[in-house]
Amino acid sequence: MSSSEAAGLADHPFLRGMSADCVALLGAAAVAVSVPAGRRLFDEGAPADKCWLLTRGNVALDLHMPGQRNLIVETLGSGDVIGFSWLSPPHVWQFGAETVEPTGAFELDGAAVTALCDTHPDLGYQIALRMLAAAVRRLQATRIRLLDLYGMPGQDAGPR
Amino acid sequence: MSLQAVPARYRVVSREAETRDTVTLRLEPVDQPIGPHQPGQFTMLYAFGIGEVPISISGGPGSGLLQTIRSVGAVTRALCEADQGQVIGVRGPFGTDWGVAGAAGQDIIVVAGGIGLAPLRPALLAVLAARERYRRVCVLIGARTPHELVFAGEVAAWRDRGADVQVIVDRAAAGWHGHVGVVTQLIKRVDIDPGATRALVCGPEVMMRLAARSLCERGVAPRSIRVSLERNMRCGTAECGHCQIGPLLLCRDGPVISYQRAAPLLSVKEL
Amino acid sequence: MDVPVPADGPLLMEAAALAALHGALVGAGYRVIGPTVRDGAIILSELGSADQLPFGWGVSLEPGGYRIRRRDDTAAFGHSAGPQSWKQFLHPPREKVWSARRVADGFEVEAAGEAPPRLAFFGVRPCDLRAIAIQDQVLGRGEHDGSRYAARRSGVFIVAVNCTEPGETCFCTSMGAGPQAGPGYDLALTELVGDGAHGFLVDIGSAAGAEMFAGVPARPADHATEDRGRSAVADAAGRMGRSMPADALHGLMERSYGASRWDDVASRCLTCGNCTMACPTCFCTTVEDVSDLSGDHAERWQLWDSCFDLDFSRLHGGPVRSSPRSRYRQWLTHKLGTWHDQFGSSGCVGCGRCIVWCPVGIDLTEEVAALQAEEGQAGIGGEQP
Repeated sequence: MSSSEAAGLADHPFLRGMSADCVALLGAAAVAVSVPAGRRLFDEGAPADKCWLLTRGNVALDLHMPGQRNLIVETLGSGDVIGFSWLSPPHVWQFGAETVEPTGAFELDGAAVTALCDTHPDLGYQIALRMLAAAVRRLQATRIRLLDLYGMPGQDAGPR
Repeated sequence: MSLQAVPARYRVVSREAETRDTVTLRLEPVDQPIGPHQPGQFTMLYAFGIGEVPISISGGPGSGLLQTIRSVGAVTRALCEADQGQVIGVRGPFGTDWGVAGAAGQDIIVVAGGIGLAPLRPALLAVLAARERYRRVCVLIGARTPHELVFAGEVAAWRDRGADVQVIVDRAAAGWHGHVGVVTQLIKRVDIDPGATRALVCGPEVMMRLAARSLCERGVAPRSIRVSLERNMRCGTAECGHCQIGPLLLCRDGPVISYQRAAPLLSVKEL
Repeated sequence: MDVPVPADGPLLMEAAALAALHGALVGAGYRVIGPTVRDGAIILSELGSADQLPFGWGVSLEPGGYRIRRRDDTAAFGHSAGPQSWKQFLHPPREKVWSARRVADGFEVEAAGEAPPRLAFFGVRPCDLRAIAIQDQVLGRGEHDGSRYAARRSGVFIVAVNCTEPGETCFCTSMGAGPQAGPGYDLALTELVGDGAHGFLVDIGSAAGAEMFAGVPARPADHATEDRGRSAVADAAGRMGRSMPADALHGLMERSYGASRWDDVASRCLTCGNCTMACPTCFCTTVEDVSDLSGDHAERWQLWDSCFDLDFSRLHGGPVRSSPRSRYRQWLTHKLGTWHDQFGSSGCVGCGRCIVWCPVGIDLTEEVAALQAEEGQAGIGGEQP
């Protein structure tokens, strides 16, 4: 990566608070990418071996439904991380992802990051904490969506 | 009861189905009109022989009284089924307004959840009518699904008039290529200057709490955030006692209040 | 005729002259409402004559207890805290607001219109006089000018009666609402009974009062008698069985939302709402839209309601205040606390009715003391608005 790209990586919200040393380590496994709109980042069922720290644009996570085009389950944008499935077995994408707008990101190579974390536990801890925090935020938002706040009051009541 | 105890008669001029369960009625007075109304105020709408409910005014002054109603019970069902030409009763207008007048030169952010967009619409229209008075104007709308977006047909026009409108749905439908998630996710990324922003938030109480919190996390001051609270309202004139939340009588001191006043009230369970 | 209000001291009338005062009121077109014994209680009703006053009747009061008893004198106003207050006449329990009928292209509405009767309240205790002033603030001022309450209220003639004998549950002194009547009366009586004599000091409070009293047999009170009357009222102020820290209540209520005491009172409270019915300042109402079987005629009625009712705070399929704890807390924090924010005064006048008429004898003065004590300990944790 160029020095300006490296600076951009250090500034990404996902890495906020990480030490310069750890960021530099991570830089070795990162490459700045620019993806046009309408491009598949990954597909359900394929091997999960990357994650992306989005800097601009919009990415839709989707699921293939028989008889329908891929249904979007969540959209993510600048500041978000995409891709958790590379972290743990079976290392297979559970959803697909497609860019909705021209998107910029830092693409992290899963195998390389894992190797770095194995040899540098402090980096491993920092990555793990941040992945967990992102997952928790996603979980909280999902719970709110499940509350169906805009739904009809009383719609879940049983038969009268 | 006070002078606003007796309903004024209004005739349905037109009826627009916004979604499967929500209708906007355009009303004209049969006799004397009710007083002039401000964005954020509400009326008590009466369906003959059935009852009365508080409904937000969803239009600006001029071209009739606009009220957007969601069918959730006997009275609202009757109002949603009202035909052109039918006469209903109207009392009001009641309550406090969104008050954007003092926000000249600032960024305006409107955060609407579901039917909460209805009472915000007159404020947005007033802002767009004087667009040059404000800096950025952002409208973030949360809806259940793409088919349950009220005033869907107006979004393009709002964009043309200088609003950055973003819609996010809890659940996508086939063919939806927009945002999917919760409206707080949009708040995290919206382009505003938190130190010079006036925020107007309306929707289910949980959504308003979360949205206001997100705005505060962005650095918007609680007193610059306005929310619209809801409690059981019966008389509309702050005499029946039903609309109380803590020290406030919402028909008189609300429903629009600053988040600075609302936050401590919303944090007490069963207040 | 312009009758000057005498500036120098009260008048003195014999008890027998009450009949003349009653007659003057009736003659001026008033319906005279006052206390009378009925059904084992002293209630408020239309008095056909002054004889119907409860001469010689007193009451024994305690939390959850009320009994009338024979006095050993003939005092007409030797009682307190009956089950009713004057609010039932100014703010009726049931009232039609308007009626409507279907017509060819819609409906027509007609406000319920009979002119309110001219009422004279005969025997308003100072606590109740203050309660009327409080309800005036809630229902009769500002945007409520021209309301039905205002119309009923404007014609009322008030004969107040100062208290010389506090009831066991009274605490008007500490609430600043008695035992001396504050402003707002046309006439104020102080009963003097004993040593074979029975009379009343009479203070004129308004030109209307002076005019009404002009024909009643009375003479200026001598100093000794006046002193006896004034001292009796002043002494009564010091003989209350209970008190409240009135100045501290607004703040205490604001800080007490998370108190555990509410759980304690909730374990006793039946949420029956008696307190709200008996309280002279409780004003909450609901509206009922009714129609007949043909569906062509509809009416709106206004009815007393109570914040203890589960339906009171219903919102989107459920009550906001569903637990008894939250409903008792709402009643007390409103009455003693947020009433100040909404209407500029306390909502409590110290009449003690809520204590007497609570079936389980909850005493709000005890609850307040407990809340103060709880705050005085480690400090209230948790919720505060």
